[in-house]
Amino acid sequence: MTEPSYNESQPPDRRDFLKTAACAVFGGACILPPVVAGITVLTAPIREAVSGGVKVKLATLDGLPPGPPRLFAIDVERTDAWTRHQSKAVGAVFLERTGERSVKALSAACPHLGGSIEYRADKKDFYCPIHDSAFAASGAVVQPSPASRGLDQLEVEVTAEGEVWVVFQEFKAGTKDKVAVG
Amino acid sequence: MGLFDWIDNRIGYRKLVRSALYEHVPGGSRWRYIWGSTLSFAIVVQFITGVFLWMHYSPSAQTAWESVYYINEVMPGGWLLRGIHHYMAQLMVPLLVLHFMQVLIDGAYKAPREFNYWFGLGLLMLTLGISLTGYLLPWDQRGYWSTKVVTNLIANVPVVGDGMQRIVVGDANYGHHTLTRFFALHAGVLPALLVGLIVAHIALFRKHGLTPALPKKKRDGMFFPDQVLKDAVACTIVMLAVLGLVWFFKGAALGAPANPAEQYSAARPDWYFMFLFQFLKLKPFAPDGPFGDHGLTVASLVIPGLVFGLLMLMPILGRWKIGHRFNLMVLFLGLAGFGYLTAVAFIKDGSDPSFKAAIEQAKKDAARAVTLAKQRDGIPNEGALALLHDDPQTQGPRLFASQCATCHAYDGHDGLGQPLKDRASAPDLARFGSREWLNGFLDPKQIETDKFFGNTHFVKPKDGGKKSKMVRIITDDIAGYGADEKAQLAKMVAAISAEAKLPAQKTADSNDAAMIEEGRKLLADIALDCTDCHAWRTIEGGTGPTFEGYGSAEWLREFLKNPSHDKFYGKRNDRMPAFGETSRLTARELNLLIHWMRGE
Repeated sequence: MTEPSYNESQPPDRRDFLKTAACAVFGGACILPPVVAGITVLTAPIREAVSGGVKVKLATLDGLPPGPPRLFAIDVERTDAWTRHQSKAVGAVFLERTGERSVKALSAACPHLGGSIEYRADKKDFYCPIHDSAFAASGAVVQPSPASRGLDQLEVEVTAEGEVWVVFQEFKAGTKDKVAVG
Repeated sequence: MGLFDWIDNRIGYRKLVRSALYEHVPGGSRWRYIWGSTLSFAIVVQFITGVFLWMHYSPSAQTAWESVYYINEVMPGGWLLRGIHHYMAQLMVPLLVLHFMQVLIDGAYKAPREFNYWFGLGLLMLTLGISLTGYLLPWDQRGYWSTKVVTNLIANVPVVGDGMQRIVVGDANYGHHTLTRFFALHAGVLPALLVGLIVAHIALFRKHGLTPALPKKKRDGMFFPDQVLKDAVACTIVMLAVLGLVWFFKGAALGAPANPAEQYSAARPDWYFMFLFQFLKLKPFAPDGPFGDHGLTVASLVIPGLVFGLLMLMPILGRWKIGHRFNLMVLFLGLAGFGYLTAVAFIKDGSDPSFKAAIEQAKKDAARAVTLAKQRDGIPNEGALALLHDDPQTQGPRLFASQCATCHAYDGHDGLGQPLKDRASAPDLARFGSREWLNGFLDPKQIETDKFFGNTHFVKPKDGGKKSKMVRIITDDIAGYGADEKAQLAKMVAAISAEAKLPAQKTADSNDAAMIEEGRKLLADIALDCTDCHAWRTIEGGTGPTFEGYGSAEWLREFLKNPSHDKFYGKRNDRMPAFGETSRLTARELNLLIHWMRGE
């Protein structure tokens, strides 16, 4: 078999190839700008930096006597896309008085897939009703549970005046490690 | 069997591609056949950009402008996305006209292609409908007020008009449901109809084949690659033109947020509807014209309906040679009329100072709304209108123009940049209370000009008596001051001006603290007799306005409440109304005006 040659007897093939290539180039070029612009806008969220936690005052030591954990709503000043909210609910935490000047804070978001955790006073444990994950009073996961880590503990600061501040932060769901997000 | 063979075996895509690409082109590919393809391309681009915009747009009276602002100003690439969508919509109109011209000139509308022509007319109407509904969606002043005109025209349709208007608007007034309905029409109903008609249009085009422009210049060819390449080049040029427009105009404009309480006198439809706008204004359709009260119905409904009916009839008329010529004549007359009315509308606006002023004001408001939203890291829940509603820089000049500019100028204009209607009959209030203003006031050469007291009864007493004491002091005494007295006066001016605590003078006031202190002492010592008439600290003063807090927000508030109070002009007040006490201005309005005057 001889090598095909682009001689004068076959000019249409070569011309057609060039024309086909040109069609592809122009066809691609003309549709690229709207696609690129759209994808740039669409993917903007993944280029946003992970913000640190928000420090919120939740209670005072006097208002938090020893006893079962209590659920507190987290309301913060936040901008949701274009809207500036003076106070917006972004989540909830369980606070438990653990000592004279110490308080423990556990996020109420299930580390499995983000369901909202409830405290079962009768069993003295935490429970997620969505996929039946259970957690001990310490926050440690009770096996068998679909969750692969215990409840996420949050940083707590108790001021000299007895104010209880919590650094609220969200963590990636479904992983064994605690990875901060958003 | 390879992967592609397997796929082809199951779905038969090769046959589809072949039939799409290997269309017979009688007379070979030509540049004049590109218009249908460029229009299809434009529609594809609108669908792509439209879907991405849809993901970020929120149709409600409190979020429409706000979400478009966010796309335009904050989201990376958002300005380009919206710019392409906006300017492609603008370019579609000339593309439609060119496609229509080609179809008519080449006779592609004639038998057996009547239905395809009618589908094309349907597509034209749908495209215009999509443009019209899209114009409202940013919920800015321009879209809001010009769409109001359109929905009021709907109400003018005999018998069913009122009901139709209610259905379109979603309520008696514009609001959430106007936006949700327009958005559903713009992004759902009309595009779905458009797709359906395009499929039918292209299928029929394939069924009957291309209508060659005669005489054929080359031998017959295939759609691919020759015509496809020409189409692709044309589409690239269209896209480059769109990008050029986006770049030149720095994206698509977003006006100030829609304000139902503020009529926008520069409300105009998009440029391709300007001919209709101008058409409605023609004399014969006025109430005193031949159609009387029906003028509006005739202009907005009967005549456009007749023209559309004529367009529909063209394939029938085109059966005869003379009919084809008649159709071409209608086409060119129509285009000439479109061009003429559009030109008249633009020329008229271009030479109308009040239109230009309204456009300038709208641009200022739009820029201000964006600045405020950015400065405050977002927009309050009530929406962007609240930002402007409580903004001294936006409301101050308006209040000044409506309440103060009947007598006072502000830097020579009415606060909004327009000349005063009458000659100023009270001082120019720009930078009131500043050293510059006080020095001008005390200048013997300036006090009797219109900038200060020139046209007041202090200079021109009503009873033909003497000029006021202050004017006489300035023109007689101050004019003769020696160097020492001039230095004393400068110190006292600095001290009085410091009372205003003007933000613009903050640095000067703190730099000249010592001089101001000396001025205060001089005032307390009744130097140059100033505090003979003007109150100062413990000195009671007399007939002149108090120097205590002169030009400060509190002083201005009290003054505006009642300038005839003993603290100010007393009985000698010329004609300044008691804005506060008579409730001509509310407390909120007084604050906005005062903050703006003080540059806060």
